[in-house]
Amino acid sequence: MNMLVTPETRSNAATTAKEPEVLLDLENVSLSFGGVKAITNISFNIMKGEIRAIIGPNGAGKTSMLNVINGFYQPQEGKITFNGKTRRSMKPHLAVSQGIARTFQNVALFKGMSTLDNIMAGRATRMKSSMFWQILYYGPARNEEIEHRKKVEEIIDFLEIQHIRRTPVGKLPYGLQKRVELARALAMEPDLLLLDEPMAGMNLEEKEDMSRFILDVNDQLGTTIALIEHDMGVVMDLSDRVVVLDYGRKIADGPPEEVQSNQEVIDAYLGVSH
Amino acid sequence: MLYRTSGQFKTSYESDQALFPVKQDAWLLMVILVAAYVVFPLTASEFTFKALLVPVLIYSLAAMGLNILTGFAGQLSLGTAGFMGVGAYACYKLTTIFPEMNVLVALALSGLFSAAVGVAFGLPSLRIKGFYLAIATLASQFFLVWLFEKWAWLYNYNASGAIEVRTMEFFGIVVTGPTASPVTQYYFVLAVVTIICFAMINLTRGRYGRMWKAVRDMDIAAELVGINLMRAKLTAFAVSSYVVGIAGALLVFFWKGAAEPNLFDIPLSFQILFIAIIGGLGSILGNFLGAILIVALPVVLNVLPETLGISINSATMEHVNDMIVGALIIMFLIVEPHGLARFWALIREKLIIWPYPH
Repeated sequence: MNMLVTPETRSNAATTAKEPEVLLDLENVSLSFGGVKAITNISFNIMKGEIRAIIGPNGAGKTSMLNVINGFYQPQEGKITFNGKTRRSMKPHLAVSQGIARTFQNVALFKGMSTLDNIMAGRATRMKSSMFWQILYYGPARNEEIEHRKKVEEIIDFLEIQHIRRTPVGKLPYGLQKRVELARALAMEPDLLLLDEPMAGMNLEEKEDMSRFILDVNDQLGTTIALIEHDMGVVMDLSDRVVVLDYGRKIADGPPEEVQSNQEVIDAYLGVSH
Repeated sequence: MLYRTSGQFKTSYESDQALFPVKQDAWLLMVILVAAYVVFPLTASEFTFKALLVPVLIYSLAAMGLNILTGFAGQLSLGTAGFMGVGAYACYKLTTIFPEMNVLVALALSGLFSAAVGVAFGLPSLRIKGFYLAIATLASQFFLVWLFEKWAWLYNYNASGAIEVRTMEFFGIVVTGPTASPVTQYYFVLAVVTIICFAMINLTRGRYGRMWKAVRDMDIAAELVGINLMRAKLTAFAVSSYVVGIAGALLVFFWKGAAEPNLFDIPLSFQILFIAIIGGLGSILGNFLGAILIVALPVVLNVLPETLGISINSATMEHVNDMIVGALIIMFLIVEPHGLARFWALIREKLIIWPYPH
């Protein structure tokens, strides 16, 4: 854990606090499936080092938004700029090498594998040793395995899941599975971490734990986080800025307090009489 | 009581990731290896070699190959026998075109041919999954057997349509053909199986194993952690078919001595699949356990009535064997989908904490 908090990451976080830099910029993005418009003409950005919440009622297009960001869906229109590089479409397996990691609304772990293997799988793109050495499990292959194991153990310490290292994740309770999934995403050492409802289905204590971990990740590792969440208390406490979607459109964008008092947002959540 | 992990502390990741982090496992393996390399050759009769030991090894190897694909990478295949055939015919052609070639080299090369064919027939897996893929591999099974029958060049225009293994030497010792002694053939097969088994254990516990298992457990998430699905699936097909192809070549060259195309027909595919399922999908050890059960059962059932003094004709015994194997498969699918390997894992766990229940 100590190794994670290098002075480097600290100073990184400090400089980003001084002069905000855009990490991800979405410009007029539209996505539709046949005749159904999931996202209509949405623009917003994510600054380096911030926690950005995406909220909205059911079916607002929040998850579709994340899917566009990490390349699962190809938007029909619009421009996406990440880390200074502009793209329209991308293969999802390339998202990791670009620096985008993600967790899912319904836990998407490899159920037959142990916690350790799941997190090690998060290092997949960083492991390069050839099949020849793999077969011998010697030389480059073994060194690589040990080197990545060290990194993975740091993450395990960071998220306090040492005791379940060897347990197949299918046997773990839901709250821990969510944490393992976060661990796997962190193993990818992303610049941008997308969390799709990290606290869905958790009790208060688990929510508090998870909130603490999210803040720690942001603070100590300097990772930029975009999260979808339905628990408004969590959203308002954690996030620096909030973007609100409704029916695939952006209806509000700004700091939590400002969004909270926005009439359009209140209408979207509570409904309006016509 | 023999199994105690207490006192065996790991102080580095290196020792924690060793092949046998628990000392007793290494001892157990030593015992098995000594039995396989020393005890069996000294004690076994010619019949035991031909009917039990060699077939068990070859079937284990074939099941291991299938297990890489189906158990580790989650791609169901019904074309195993076809790929075994490719290995066998490739080895046959290589040894007739280049008579001077070392048998071991010919074996290793013939695996490459079946790997290439496996990758070609694995291409549909990029688009389809599950049962649909199984049907696609079934197509490869029928196509390959048809090819073995119709393409006369493959069996050197032999009038019988079969391939016959000629006598070949390995550093001066006759290893194939009718004059080869069963013990040398057994040693040869055992050495090849040991080497490949070692390679597969290493491959499945490292980067490739994790990649394959990730694809098996959840392909969408696998893609998201940066695993290239196409590469993962095709490497699984390649490695699997390579091992299966070598098993096929061993089957013909070191056991049967000759082969007709129908040897590689669908019943063999199913038999290999049964071994993999009963032994345990996603396990290396399971293949050996499954092969021992499937190969030994008919032999035991043949000998058993005689020793008990009951006379049952062999045809009835064959049916009884089929019934038992069928019942076992159904039982395993319901009771323990992870097969015999899981049984062993459970026993081992219990032994470690014995005499306490938890």
